[in-house]
Amino acid sequence: MAAPTRRRSGWRRRLGAFARFVGALALVGGVYTGFAPGIYADEADESFQALVAQGEELYNNSCISCHGVNAAGVDGRGPSLIGVGSASVEFQVNSGRMPMAMQETQAERKPPVFTPEEATALAAYIQTLGGGPEALPTEVVEAMVADVMTDPYSVAEGGDLFRVNCSSCHGYATGGGALSSGAYAPSLAGVPADQIYEAMLTGPQNMPVFADNQLEPEEKAQIIAYVEYLNTDQNPGGWGLGRFGPSTEGLAIFLVGISTLAIATLWIAGKS
Amino acid sequence: MSAAQHDSSADEPVDVTDGKLSRFEIVKEGLRRDGIEILHYEPAFPVPGTKVEKRIERFIAFCFVVAGLGALGFVAVYAFWPWEYEYAEFGGAGSMSKWYTPMLGLTLGLGLAGLGIGILTWAKKLLPVEELVQERHDGGSKEEDRVITGAVVGNMVDETGIKRRPMLKRALLFGAAPLGLAAIAPLGALIVPPGDDLFTTGFNPSNNDGKPVGLMLKDGTLVRPDMISVGGQITAYPAIPDGSTNRHADSPVLLIHLRDGDAKKARENAYEMYEGAQWNNYIAYSKICTHVGCPASLYEQQTNRLLCPCHQSQFLITDNAKPVFGPATRHLPQLPIDVDEDGFFYAVSDFLVPIGPAFWERG
Repeated sequence: MAAPTRRRSGWRRRLGAFARFVGALALVGGVYTGFAPGIYADEADESFQALVAQGEELYNNSCISCHGVNAAGVDGRGPSLIGVGSASVEFQVNSGRMPMAMQETQAERKPPVFTPEEATALAAYIQTLGGGPEALPTEVVEAMVADVMTDPYSVAEGGDLFRVNCSSCHGYATGGGALSSGAYAPSLAGVPADQIYEAMLTGPQNMPVFADNQLEPEEKAQIIAYVEYLNTDQNPGGWGLGRFGPSTEGLAIFLVGISTLAIATLWIAGKS
Repeated sequence: MSAAQHDSSADEPVDVTDGKLSRFEIVKEGLRRDGIEILHYEPAFPVPGTKVEKRIERFIAFCFVVAGLGALGFVAVYAFWPWEYEYAEFGGAGSMSKWYTPMLGLTLGLGLAGLGIGILTWAKKLLPVEELVQERHDGGSKEEDRVITGAVVGNMVDETGIKRRPMLKRALLFGAAPLGLAAIAPLGALIVPPGDDLFTTGFNPSNNDGKPVGLMLKDGTLVRPDMISVGGQITAYPAIPDGSTNRHADSPVLLIHLRDGDAKKARENAYEMYEGAQWNNYIAYSKICTHVGCPASLYEQQTNRLLCPCHQSQFLITDNAKPVFGPATRHLPQLPIDVDEDGFFYAVSDFLVPIGPAFWERG
């Protein structure tokens, strides 16, 4: 009785072991399939590859002359783009700063040459070359900002952050200001939310980097909300004079006010 | 008896109480006694009620009405115009309030201008046209006048008898001198010896029971190296109570994370006293400009310059933050920093030189 039982139990044990092995394999495979990055899935892979290929083609047509083969940079013409990340590309291209018309002190905001889709393709291509800070989709940034906008206190906190981190260059009322050697910090009026976000993330040109470990995404959204709040807000007196602050206002009062008074005085004296 | 008759007897005073004189003749006599001569005098409109005169009168009346309306408008704007700031997104009414100040100025300006132009026009167009001449004497006063004035003053002193009443003299001195002191003493209280306030900041270990002071953000978060990306900067305050308030307004530093090459350059250029003041690629400079103390915090991450927005002083970060442009003449003091075993920044010591603008004792 004991021997057959032992034999039978050995067979059953082996069968059980096999079943457990198959089960474990299935589990591991399933988990792997479930958790593996989407780009390895065929469909996503193909569309992403197509995007990168499109970006590479655009790059080779429009950017390569300055930024070099494989974005390695060209001495005296353009920096390497390896590691700058997609956020940087989307900012520079969507704000029209890149491609630059010519080498000058500062790349200025101008109407973009590429569509947002092309910018995304370029960004994807640069991102595959060396990683770096990644751009958030426009809708995501806008939703975060809209969320902050519902709460005046949150916007006020954004104001606090803006005054500590941004106002020294961009001015207290986002009008911008002068930097060294002819460069300047641009006005923030009318800059889309996602571009402000990308600028903070990547520090374009002379702007310092405000990465996520310094200003958390929520704090960035608060700052953007404050900037939007300022820019939709009224100008006391009806005219902001570029919102540069007391210098322009003082100059305007001095030039307009004093010359009006001087002319009036001359007129009165001349008539009597 | 006529005006001509009086004129001929120039030095003979005319009796102005004489009831026969007209009012204008009395005015003329007053002028004559002051040595003023009328060269030319005629009414603006010899024939009253002409068309031109009427027109001018209407214009002046119009000015006064405008002045009145302007002033009433000012009162109305002041009382009823929405003045309180309201932001539309947060349930405010909108943008009428932005016109509050301009409307006040416009209405009051209209009022004052109307009144002024009205009075000016009245004076210029309706008053008689006249030309007067007054003789002025040359040189100093006459010898006689000087003697008389001296005698009057001397006599006043004699009358008080202060010379022969020594008790009063001393009492007056005792009474008046402390009053003078009372006037001057408050000024003296304004002079407070600054002690070593100008030489120490919040980063001085004496603020932290002799232990080195940490670096914190405005909200009190201690600063770690991973908070600042390459090419980034952060404003840090001494991590002591009230460290980020005006009590320690002389303390804020700009903590900058340099690129490898730039950090190497900064280390090579460092003055002897700043050797080892950098921590890896991190460098901390006082935020107070050495010109007149504005926050020099415009960090250009490509040119490695710190700019001061007030007078455009520029400091080279990779060379001890020495001034390279603008009115500042001293480098921005560097704060020697290190990282403790918990991974937080702290100041190894206070600033090695006084922060901010120059003062007498600062050589």
